[in-house]
Amino acid sequence: MRFSIYRFNPERDSRPTMQNFEAVVGPHDRMLLDVLLRLREQDDSLTFRKSCREGICGSDAMNINGRNGLACITPLAGLKEPVSLRPMPGFPVIRDLIVDMTQFFNHYHAVRPYLVNHEPPPERERRQSPAERAKLDGLYECILCGACTGFCPSWWWNPDRFLGPAALLQAMRFIADSRDRATAVRLEFLDDAYRLYRCRTIMNCTEVCPKGLSPSRAIEHIRQRIVKEGL
Amino acid sequence: MRAVASGTRAWLLQRLTAVYMLVFLVLTLGRCAVDPPASHEAWRNWIGTGGMRVATVLFFVGLVLHAWVGLRDVAMDYVHPLALRVALLALVGAGLAAFAAWMILVLAGL
Repeated sequence: MRFSIYRFNPERDSRPTMQNFEAVVGPHDRMLLDVLLRLREQDDSLTFRKSCREGICGSDAMNINGRNGLACITPLAGLKEPVSLRPMPGFPVIRDLIVDMTQFFNHYHAVRPYLVNHEPPPERERRQSPAERAKLDGLYECILCGACTGFCPSWWWNPDRFLGPAALLQAMRFIADSRDRATAVRLEFLDDAYRLYRCRTIMNCTEVCPKGLSPSRAIEHIRQRIVKEGL
Repeated sequence: MRAVASGTRAWLLQRLTAVYMLVFLVLTLGRCAVDPPASHEAWRNWIGTGGMRVATVLFFVGLVLHAWVGLRDVAMDYVHPLALRVALLALVGAGLAAFAAWMILVLAGL
Protein backbone atom coordinates (compact mmCIF):
# COMPACT_ATOMS: atom_id res chain seq x y z
CA MET A 1 0.00 0.00 0.00
CA ARG A 2 1.38 3.40 -1.00
CA PHE A 3 1.47 6.46 1.26
CA SER A 4 2.47 10.07 0.89
CA ILE A 5 3.14 11.51 4.34
CA TYR A 6 3.83 15.05 5.50
CA ARG A 7 7.23 15.27 7.15
CA PHE A 8 8.51 18.20 9.12
CA ASN A 9 11.13 18.30 11.82
CA PRO A 10 11.57 21.90 12.99
CA GLU A 11 15.04 21.11 14.37
CA ARG A 12 16.26 19.97 10.97
CA ASP A 13 13.95 21.13 8.17
CA SER A 14 13.39 24.65 6.90
CA ARG A 15 10.15 23.60 5.20
CA PRO A 16 7.86 20.57 5.17
CA THR A 17 8.03 17.87 2.49
CA MET A 18 5.85 14.95 1.46
CA GLN A 19 7.62 11.58 1.75
CA ASN A 20 6.54 8.45 -0.10
CA PHE A 21 6.23 5.17 1.77
CA GLU A 22 5.38 1.65 0.70
CA ALA A 23 3.82 -0.58 3.36
CA VAL A 24 3.13 -4.30 3.37
CA VAL A 25 -0.32 -4.68 4.90
CA GLY A 26 -0.48 -7.52 7.43
CA PRO A 27 -3.26 -10.12 7.36
CA HIS A 28 -4.89 -8.65 10.49
CA ASP A 29 -4.45 -4.99 9.62
CA ARG A 30 -7.85 -3.36 9.30
CA MET A 31 -7.41 0.28 10.20
CA LEU A 32 -5.08 3.01 9.00
CA LEU A 33 -3.33 3.16 12.38
CA ASP A 34 -2.28 -0.51 12.04
CA VAL A 35 -0.30 0.35 8.91
CA LEU A 36 1.05 3.58 10.37
CA LEU A 37 2.57 1.52 13.18
CA ARG A 38 4.21 -0.72 10.55
CA LEU A 39 5.56 2.34 8.77
CA ARG A 40 7.11 3.48 12.03
CA GLU A 41 8.95 0.19 12.20
CA GLN A 42 10.43 1.10 8.80
CA ASP A 43 11.26 4.67 9.83
CA ASP A 44 11.29 5.33 13.56
CA SER A 45 11.50 9.07 13.01
CA LEU A 46 7.91 9.11 11.70
CA THR A 47 5.95 10.94 14.39
CA PHE A 48 2.25 10.78 15.24
CA ARG A 49 0.10 10.57 18.33
CA LYS A 50 -1.92 7.50 19.28
CA SER A 51 -3.16 5.90 22.43
CA CYS A 52 -6.39 3.94 22.74
CA ARG A 53 -6.55 2.53 19.16
CA GLU A 54 -10.36 2.53 19.24
CA GLY A 55 -11.69 6.03 18.68
CA ILE A 56 -12.02 7.02 22.32
CA CYS A 57 -8.96 9.13 23.15
CA GLY A 58 -8.93 11.27 20.00
CA SER A 59 -5.13 11.36 19.86
CA ASP A 60 -4.59 10.28 16.26
CA ALA A 61 -6.70 12.87 14.47
CA MET A 62 -5.08 13.78 11.16
CA ASN A 63 -5.92 14.78 7.63
CA ILE A 64 -6.48 11.59 5.62
CA ASN A 65 -6.82 12.01 1.86
CA GLY A 66 -8.03 15.56 2.41
CA ARG A 67 -10.50 14.89 5.25
CA ASN A 68 -9.88 15.06 8.97
CA GLY A 69 -10.42 11.78 10.78
CA LEU A 70 -9.05 9.34 13.32
CA ALA A 71 -6.46 6.91 11.94
CA CYS A 72 -7.53 4.19 14.38
CA ILE A 73 -11.11 3.97 13.10
CA THR A 74 -10.46 4.71 9.43
CA PRO A 75 -10.72 1.39 7.54
CA LEU A 76 -7.93 0.64 5.08
CA ALA A 77 -10.47 -0.71 2.65
CA GLY A 78 -11.66 2.08 0.42
CA LEU A 79 -8.69 4.41 0.97
CA LYS A 80 -7.50 5.78 -2.35
CA GLU A 81 -3.75 5.33 -3.00
CA PRO A 82 -1.36 6.87 -2.46
CA VAL A 83 -2.93 7.64 0.89
CA SER A 84 -2.12 11.26 1.67
CA LEU A 85 -1.54 11.93 5.37
CA ARG A 86 -1.08 15.45 6.66
CA PRO A 87 -1.42 17.16 10.04
CA MET A 88 -4.83 18.73 10.66
CA PRO A 89 -5.05 22.07 8.86
CA GLY A 90 -5.21 25.27 10.89
CA PHE A 91 -3.07 23.98 13.75
CA PRO A 92 0.63 24.83 14.17
CA VAL A 93 2.71 21.73 13.41
CA ILE A 94 5.02 20.45 16.12
CA ARG A 95 6.46 17.61 14.07
CA ASP A 96 5.21 15.44 11.19
CA LEU A 97 1.55 14.63 11.98
CA ILE A 98 1.58 16.10 15.49
CA VAL A 99 -0.06 19.48 15.95
CA ASP A 100 -0.02 22.01 18.76
CA MET A 101 -3.49 22.01 20.35
CA THR A 102 -2.82 24.72 22.97
CA GLN A 103 -5.18 27.23 21.36
CA PHE A 104 -7.83 24.55 20.91
CA PHE A 105 -7.78 23.68 24.61
CA ASN A 106 -7.68 27.36 25.60
CA HIS A 107 -10.99 27.78 23.78
CA TYR A 108 -12.29 24.63 25.41
CA HIS A 109 -11.44 25.92 28.89
CA ALA A 110 -12.97 29.33 28.05
CA VAL A 111 -16.47 27.83 27.83
CA ARG A 112 -16.14 26.53 31.42
CA PRO A 113 -16.66 22.87 30.54
CA TYR A 114 -17.96 21.83 33.93
CA LEU A 115 -21.18 22.14 35.92
CA VAL A 116 -21.62 25.46 37.69
CA ASN A 117 -24.09 25.11 40.53
CA HIS A 118 -23.61 26.88 43.85
CA GLU A 119 -26.83 25.59 45.40
CA PRO A 120 -26.26 23.42 48.48
CA PRO A 121 -25.51 19.90 47.23
CA PRO A 122 -28.15 17.30 47.99
CA GLU A 123 -27.31 14.40 50.27
CA ARG A 124 -26.54 11.99 47.44
CA GLU A 125 -26.45 13.53 43.97
CA ARG A 126 -28.02 16.11 41.68
CA ARG A 127 -30.65 14.09 39.89
CA GLN A 128 -31.93 14.33 36.34
CA SER A 129 -35.08 12.90 34.81
CA PRO A 130 -34.55 10.60 31.82
CA ALA A 131 -35.87 13.40 29.58
CA GLU A 132 -33.37 15.90 31.01
CA ARG A 133 -30.57 13.39 30.60
CA ALA A 134 -31.61 12.73 26.99
CA LYS A 135 -30.92 16.37 26.16
CA LEU A 136 -27.20 15.65 26.58
CA ASP A 137 -27.20 12.99 23.87
CA GLY A 138 -25.23 14.11 20.86
CA LEU A 139 -23.25 16.52 23.04
CA TYR A 140 -21.48 14.59 25.79
CA GLU A 141 -19.86 12.06 23.41
CA CYS A 142 -17.27 14.55 22.07
CA ILE A 143 -13.72 13.22 22.58
CA LEU A 144 -11.97 16.53 21.78
CA CYS A 145 -9.94 15.11 18.92
CA GLY A 146 -10.12 18.47 17.12
CA ALA A 147 -11.11 16.99 13.74
CA CYS A 148 -14.08 19.38 13.48
CA THR A 149 -12.23 22.52 14.54
CA GLY A 150 -9.27 21.71 12.30
CA PHE A 151 -11.61 21.40 9.32
CA CYS A 152 -13.51 24.63 9.95
CA PRO A 153 -12.62 27.49 7.57
CA SER A 154 -14.01 30.04 10.03
CA TRP A 155 -11.48 28.79 12.58
CA TRP A 156 -8.66 28.95 10.04
CA TRP A 157 -9.50 32.65 9.51
CA ASN A 158 -9.80 33.58 13.21
CA PRO A 159 -8.25 30.81 15.33
CA ASP A 160 -7.48 33.16 18.20
CA ARG A 161 -10.99 34.60 18.59
CA PHE A 162 -13.54 32.15 17.15
CA LEU A 163 -14.06 29.35 19.67
CA GLY A 164 -14.51 26.71 16.99
CA PRO A 165 -17.04 23.89 16.70
CA ALA A 166 -15.61 21.59 19.40
CA ALA A 167 -15.60 24.24 22.13
CA LEU A 168 -19.07 25.44 21.10
CA LEU A 169 -20.44 21.90 21.20
CA GLN A 170 -18.99 21.59 24.70
CA ALA A 171 -20.59 24.92 25.63
CA MET A 172 -23.98 23.62 24.50
CA ARG A 173 -23.42 20.43 26.47
CA PHE A 174 -23.44 22.47 29.70
CA ILE A 175 -26.15 24.91 28.59
CA ALA A 176 -28.37 21.87 27.97
CA ASP A 177 -27.61 20.33 31.37
CA SER A 178 -30.53 20.71 33.78
CA ARG A 179 -28.13 20.69 36.75
CA ASP A 180 -26.19 23.72 35.56
CA ARG A 181 -27.14 27.18 36.91
CA ALA A 182 -24.89 29.39 34.77
CA THR A 183 -26.86 29.39 31.52
CA ALA A 184 -27.33 33.18 31.46
CA VAL A 185 -23.62 33.81 32.06
CA ARG A 186 -22.67 31.20 29.45
CA LEU A 187 -24.99 32.72 26.83
CA GLU A 188 -23.77 36.23 27.55
CA PHE A 189 -20.18 35.07 27.08
CA LEU A 190 -21.03 33.41 23.78
CA ASP A 191 -23.09 36.31 22.39
CA ASP A 192 -20.12 37.78 20.59
CA ALA A 193 -19.40 38.53 16.95
CA TYR A 194 -16.22 36.45 17.16
CA ARG A 195 -16.65 33.71 19.75
CA LEU A 196 -19.86 32.31 18.26
CA TYR A 197 -20.85 34.29 15.22
CA ARG A 198 -17.84 33.62 13.02
CA CYS A 199 -19.62 30.33 12.30
CA ARG A 200 -20.94 30.54 8.74
CA THR A 201 -22.74 27.18 8.95
CA ILE A 202 -20.30 25.64 6.48
CA MET A 203 -20.91 22.34 8.30
CA ASN A 204 -17.46 20.83 7.66
CA CYS A 205 -17.47 20.06 11.38
CA THR A 206 -20.52 17.83 11.15
CA GLU A 207 -19.20 16.28 7.95
CA VAL A 208 -15.96 15.04 9.53
CA CYS A 209 -16.82 14.36 13.18
CA PRO A 210 -15.56 10.79 13.76
CA LYS A 211 -18.16 10.29 16.48
CA GLY A 212 -21.04 11.29 14.20
CA LEU A 213 -21.90 14.40 16.24
CA SER A 214 -23.23 17.67 14.86
CA PRO A 215 -21.45 20.76 16.20
CA SER A 216 -23.41 22.74 13.58
CA ARG A 217 -26.67 21.81 15.26
CA ALA A 218 -25.24 22.63 18.69
CA ILE A 219 -24.20 26.07 17.42
CA GLU A 220 -27.69 26.59 16.00
CA HIS A 221 -29.20 25.65 19.35
CA ILE A 222 -26.94 28.14 21.14
CA ARG A 223 -28.12 30.89 18.79
CA GLN A 224 -31.74 29.93 19.37
CA ARG A 225 -31.23 29.97 23.14
CA ILE A 226 -29.63 33.42 23.01
CA VAL A 227 -32.53 34.77 20.93
CA LYS A 228 -35.08 33.10 23.22
CA GLU A 229 -33.45 34.37 26.41
CA GLY A 230 -33.14 37.83 24.85
CA LEU A 231 -36.86 37.94 24.09
CA MET B 1 -18.78 48.63 21.95
CA ARG B 2 -20.79 45.61 22.98
CA ALA B 3 -23.92 46.87 21.23
CA VAL B 4 -21.97 47.35 18.00
CA ALA B 5 -20.21 44.02 18.18
CA SER B 6 -23.15 42.04 19.51
CA GLY B 7 -23.29 38.88 17.48
CA THR B 8 -26.93 38.02 17.95
CA ARG B 9 -28.22 41.49 17.08
CA ALA B 10 -26.41 41.51 13.74
CA TRP B 11 -27.25 37.87 13.02
CA LEU B 12 -30.94 38.43 13.71
CA LEU B 13 -31.01 41.67 11.72
CA GLN B 14 -29.52 39.91 8.71
CA ARG B 15 -32.13 37.15 8.84
CA LEU B 16 -35.13 39.41 9.45
CA THR B 17 -34.16 41.72 6.59
CA ALA B 18 -33.67 38.68 4.35
CA VAL B 19 -37.18 37.44 5.13
CA TYR B 20 -38.68 40.89 4.53
CA MET B 21 -36.83 41.32 1.22
CA LEU B 22 -37.89 37.86 0.08
CA VAL B 23 -41.56 38.52 0.87
CA PHE B 24 -41.39 41.96 -0.76
CA LEU B 25 -39.76 40.59 -3.91
CA VAL B 26 -42.18 37.67 -4.24
CA LEU B 27 -45.21 39.93 -3.82
CA THR B 28 -43.91 42.72 -6.07
CA LEU B 29 -42.67 40.44 -8.85
CA GLY B 30 -45.85 38.36 -8.53
CA ARG B 31 -47.96 41.47 -8.96
CA CYS B 32 -45.86 42.49 -11.99
CA ALA B 33 -46.27 39.00 -13.50
CA VAL B 34 -50.03 38.83 -12.94
CA ASP B 35 -50.93 42.45 -13.63
CA PRO B 36 -47.96 44.33 -15.12
CA PRO B 37 -48.16 48.14 -15.06
CA ALA B 38 -49.18 49.20 -18.56
CA SER B 39 -46.97 52.29 -18.69
CA HIS B 40 -44.30 54.19 -16.79
CA GLU B 41 -47.05 56.42 -15.46
CA ALA B 42 -48.95 53.40 -14.12
CA TRP B 43 -45.74 52.06 -12.51
CA ARG B 44 -45.11 55.44 -10.85
CA ASN B 45 -48.64 55.56 -9.50
CA TRP B 46 -48.30 52.05 -8.10
CA ILE B 47 -44.88 52.46 -6.45
CA GLY B 48 -45.59 56.00 -5.35
CA THR B 49 -48.78 55.29 -3.39
CA GLY B 50 -48.57 55.49 0.42
CA GLY B 51 -48.32 51.86 1.53
CA MET B 52 -46.25 50.72 -1.41
CA ARG B 53 -43.87 53.62 -1.06
CA VAL B 54 -43.25 52.83 2.62
CA ALA B 55 -42.79 49.12 1.79
CA THR B 56 -40.26 50.00 -0.93
CA VAL B 57 -38.33 52.34 1.36
CA LEU B 58 -38.24 49.54 3.95
CA PHE B 59 -36.98 47.16 1.27
CA PHE B 60 -34.00 49.37 0.48
CA VAL B 61 -33.28 50.10 4.15
CA GLY B 62 -33.36 46.32 4.71
CA LEU B 63 -31.07 45.79 1.74
CA VAL B 64 -28.53 48.27 3.10
CA LEU B 65 -28.60 46.77 6.62
CA HIS B 66 -28.37 43.24 5.21
CA ALA B 67 -25.43 44.19 3.02
CA TRP B 68 -23.71 45.98 5.90
CA VAL B 69 -23.81 42.91 8.15
CA GLY B 70 -22.64 40.65 5.31
CA LEU B 71 -19.75 42.87 4.25
CA ARG B 72 -18.79 43.50 7.87
CA ASP B 73 -18.60 39.73 8.32
CA VAL B 74 -16.41 39.36 5.25
CA ALA B 75 -14.09 42.06 6.59
CA MET B 76 -13.95 40.42 10.03
CA ASP B 77 -13.08 37.09 8.44
CA TYR B 78 -10.46 38.17 5.93
CA VAL B 79 -9.18 41.68 6.67
CA HIS B 80 -7.15 41.41 9.85
CA PRO B 81 -5.00 44.59 9.94
CA LEU B 82 -7.16 46.92 12.03
CA ALA B 83 -6.42 50.16 10.14
CA LEU B 84 -7.19 48.53 6.80
CA ARG B 85 -10.40 47.01 8.14
CA VAL B 86 -11.60 50.30 9.63
CA ALA B 87 -10.84 52.11 6.36
CA LEU B 88 -12.63 49.43 4.33
CA LEU B 89 -15.69 49.40 6.59
CA ALA B 90 -15.81 53.22 6.55
CA LEU B 91 -15.86 53.10 2.74
CA VAL B 92 -18.53 50.39 2.71
CA GLY B 93 -20.61 52.30 5.28
CA ALA B 94 -20.37 55.55 3.34
CA GLY B 95 -21.24 53.78 0.09
CA LEU B 96 -24.26 52.05 1.58
CA ALA B 97 -25.47 55.23 3.29
CA ALA B 98 -25.19 57.14 0.01
CA PHE B 99 -27.08 54.37 -1.77
CA ALA B 100 -29.86 54.45 0.85
CA ALA B 101 -30.11 58.25 0.70
CA TRP B 102 -30.28 58.14 -3.10
CA MET B 103 -33.05 55.52 -3.09
CA ILE B 104 -35.07 57.48 -0.55
CA LEU B 105 -34.68 60.66 -2.65
CA VAL B 106 -35.82 58.78 -5.75
CA LEU B 107 -38.84 57.33 -3.97
CA ALA B 108 -39.68 60.66 -2.34
CA GLY B 109 -39.70 62.29 -5.78
CA LEU B 110 -42.24 59.87 -7.25
